Amino acid sequence: MSDDPDKVWPTGLTLREAEEVHSYLIDGTRVFGLIALLAHILVAVSTPWLG
Amino acid sequence: MNNAKMWLVVSPSVGVPIFLGAVAVGSFSVHVAVLSITSWFDDFLLGVPLGSCYVRASLSTDAPDTAKARYAIPSPDGGTEITVILPDGTTAKAILQEPDVLASAEPLAK
Repeated sequence: MSDDPDKVWPTGLTLREAEEVHSYLIDGTRVFGLIALLAHILVAVSTPWLG
Repeated sequence: MNNAKMWLVVSPSVGVPIFLGAVAVGSFSVHVAVLSITSWFDDFLLGVPLGSCYVRASLSTDAPDTAKARYAIPSPDGGTEITVILPDGTTAKAILQEPDVLASAEPLAK
């Protein structure tokens, strides 16, 4: 795989653009995970879930 | 950024909806599976204290069919004969006999 950062790949993105897209996806996943973790802690405290 | 290069060969307009859809379907199915085998979620929806469904289940509101009458008379062999008139009008009899004391249950002679 070429490391030329300015090469336009079949999806129409360059490597920098692909990394930018990926950074948004990673950030969204982290926020989603934190909210889900908080929600599961609240459920575990307030319901008989998990005994 | 180990996997960022996938967007060079997978269009984000295809890959992102697939990713988000997989997360949505997976999390929804897991929650359905968990809540389908628990009872406290029904209590939550009904607004009753969580865990009280077990009490409701044991205190069924369905009135059991009870016998209309029963009679107990001494039987000739020393026991008691009980006649029960069942809800459908038929009768059933039960004979309660004095317990037999087996020889093996008696204390050994000294």
